[in-house]
Amino acid sequence: MGNSYNYIKYIKRVAFSNALDSIISLTILSFGISALVNLFKWLVFSANWSVVSLNLPLYLFGSFPGDQLWRPGLWISLFAIFSFITLWGPRWSWLRKSLPFLWVSYAPLGIFLLAGGFGLSAVESQNWGGLTLTILLTSCSAIVSLPLGIALALGRQSTLPVIKNLSSIYIDTMRSLPLIAVLFFGQLLIPLFLPVGLEINRVSRAIIAFTLFVSAYIAEDVRGGLQSMPKTQKEAGEVLGLHPFQITYLIILPQALRIALPSLTNQAVGLLQNTSLMAILGLVELLGVGRSILANPEFIGRYIEVYIWLAAIYWIVCTVMALIARHLEQQMTLDKKDF
Amino acid sequence: MRRIFTGILTFSMLLTGCVNNSVGTQSRLEVIKKRGSLICGVSGKIPGFSFLKSNGTYQGLDVDICKAFAAAFLGSSQKVQFRPLTAPERFTAIRTGEIDLLSRNTTFNLSRDSSKGNGLIFAPVIFHDGQGLMVRKSLKINNLEGLAQKSICVGSGTTTEQNINDAFESKSLPYTPIKYQDLNQVVAGYLQGRCAAMTSDRSQLAAAKSGFKNPKAHIILDDVLSKEPLAPASAGGDQLLSDAMRWVIFALFTAEEKGITQSNINQKLEIAKSNPQMKPLRRFLGIEGDLGEKLGLPNDFVVKVITSTGNYGEIYNRHLGPNSKVPIPRGLNKIYTEGGLHFAPPFN
Repeated sequence: MGNSYNYIKYIKRVAFSNALDSIISLTILSFGISALVNLFKWLVFSANWSVVSLNLPLYLFGSFPGDQLWRPGLWISLFAIFSFITLWGPRWSWLRKSLPFLWVSYAPLGIFLLAGGFGLSAVESQNWGGLTLTILLTSCSAIVSLPLGIALALGRQSTLPVIKNLSSIYIDTMRSLPLIAVLFFGQLLIPLFLPVGLEINRVSRAIIAFTLFVSAYIAEDVRGGLQSMPKTQKEAGEVLGLHPFQITYLIILPQALRIALPSLTNQAVGLLQNTSLMAILGLVELLGVGRSILANPEFIGRYIEVYIWLAAIYWIVCTVMALIARHLEQQMTLDKKDF
Repeated sequence: MRRIFTGILTFSMLLTGCVNNSVGTQSRLEVIKKRGSLICGVSGKIPGFSFLKSNGTYQGLDVDICKAFAAAFLGSSQKVQFRPLTAPERFTAIRTGEIDLLSRNTTFNLSRDSSKGNGLIFAPVIFHDGQGLMVRKSLKINNLEGLAQKSICVGSGTTTEQNINDAFESKSLPYTPIKYQDLNQVVAGYLQGRCAAMTSDRSQLAAAKSGFKNPKAHIILDDVLSKEPLAPASAGGDQLLSDAMRWVIFALFTAEEKGITQSNINQKLEIAKSNPQMKPLRRFLGIEGDLGEKLGLPNDFVVKVITSTGNYGEIYNRHLGPNSKVPIPRGLNKIYTEGGLHFAPPFN
C-alpha cells in the first residue's frame, strides 16, 4: 500500500508539478497511448500474417530439400537447447565442463549437417538459406576469427619487427575498409583470382570475407585487454620460471579475454546483424529470403509484416546471444571472488 | 622469406597448370551433360520473372526458360539448380563458371555483348520490356502530353531518370521530376500522392501495381520510353552452348506459331508420325532429319521442351498473362504473326 502511494507521489512530483509540466506529460502520454493502440490495432486486425505463416519453413531453412529438413531443424533446435542449458540448465559439473566444447563444435556440426557427407546426402550450398544460413555465417565466422584475432593481437604486441609490422598493417588496413567493400571483394574478386575450374562456393566466400574483417576488430578488442594487464603479471610469471608461451597462455590471455569479453560480445552481435548485408550480394539468408518471398505475386506489398517479423527474429537471436555473454561474464567474476 | 615466396609461386603455378589441363577447350554444354544438371543464374526477387514460392521452389518466366533449357539439354526440366544472383555479381558468376547460363532480366546491349565489353553471348530476347508510366485512372491522362506541367516520381541516378528527361525534352514539355533512391520509395511517393505519375520499367510497374490495394484505379500508359530487351546469356566463345540456347528459345516461339501446346504435343506427334508428307512438322519434332544432333542435343529436344514447359505463349500466360497475379499486356511480346516481335528463323 505504502509502496504504491510512493509511486503516485513520485509521478506527481516528476510529471505533474506545475501546469506546464502537466500539459507536456499529458500530451506525451496521449500520443504514446494512441500510437500503442494504433500499433495493436494494426498488428491484430489490419496486418495479414499469412505472408509469415505460409512461408515459415522458408524463413527458417530456405529452400532446403523437403525430405532433409530435419537436418537444419535439428541444428537450429540445438542452438536453442545449448542456450537453454547454458542459461538455466542444471549445474552438474560434467555438463558445465562440456559446454564450451559443445559450443565450439556447434559450427563444424552445422557444416556437416547442412552440407552432408559421411552418410548424409549432399546438399549444395545454394539450397541453404533463411535463419539457418544466418546462424551458419555468424557461427563459422566467429569461430574462425576469434583465434585469428587473438593471434593478430599477440602479433601486434610481439617484439619481432616482422610479425609486429605485418599484424599492424593487416589490422589497420582491414579497419580502414568498409565491411561492404570487403564483402564485395569476397563475392566478386576472389573467384576471379582463383584459377578456372577451382571454385569456392559463395557461402564459404562470405565466411572468408567476414572472418578477414571481424578478426581485425577482435584483435583490437583483445589488444585493449592485453594492454590493461599490468607489467607485474608478466614479471611474476618470469620469476616463477615460466616459458614466455606459458606466461601468455596461462596468465595474460585468460585475464585479457575476460576484460575484452563485453566488446567481444558486441562484435558477435554486430556480426550477426551484418550477415544481413549478404542479402544484397545474393545469398538468401534471413533478410534475403524475406526479399525473395516479397517478390512472390501472392505477397506483393506485404513489406511491413515481413520486416516486423524479421526484426523479431533478429531481436530474439541477438537477445539470446547477449544473455549468454552476460552469463559468461558473471561466471568469470565469480571465479575472481574465489581468490 | 624467399623460400616461402618461391613455395607459393610454385604452388600457384601447379594449381593453374593442372586446372588448365583438366578444363581445356571443352564446351560448357558437355560439362552440363556430364554433371547431369544445369546451373542457372536467376534474380529470385522479381515478381512474375523469378521468385520463391512458399514450398521453397523458384517460379516465374525466367525460371521456366531455365527449365526449358534443362529439358532440352538433359531431358528433364527437374535437372536444374537455381542460383539467386544480384545485378553486380551476375557477370562475374558467368565468367568464373559458377553458373552455366544467366536467365536474369538482363538487358541485351552492345557493351554486354561485345568481346571487349562483358563478352557475353545473348540468346534471343524472351521479354521486350521498356520504360513506362503509371497514372491514376481518375486523372484521365492517357498519353505523355497529358503529363505536361505535372510532377513525376522517378528513381534518381538511373537510366530511368535520363530516359524520362529525354522523352519530355524532345517534345519540349515541362514537367517536375521528384527523385527517390529506389523503386520502393518511388512507389510509396506515388501512393502518397506526391506526384501524378511514376515511371519505371513496365514489368516493374505491373508488379508494383498488383500489390496496390486497388490495382484497377491505376493504368500503365501505352507510351514506351526506352528499349529493354531482356535475354538469357552465356559466356562468350562457346558456340555449342550458345547455339543450343538460341534454338531452344526459337523452338518455344515456333511451337506457339504452329499452335503446338503442352496439352496437344502428343496428338501433334502422332499426326506427324502418321503423315510422312508433313515434312516441316516432322523435322521440327525430330521425327526425321538430324536438327537436334547438329546442335549437340537429342533430335526430339523440342518435344521434351514443350512437354515440360509448354510453348512461349503458355509460359507467358502462366506468369504474366491476364489471369496471373502480375498481368502485363503482351504488346511487343506477341508472336510476329500477331503483331509482336517474337520471330523464329526456320527449323531447316
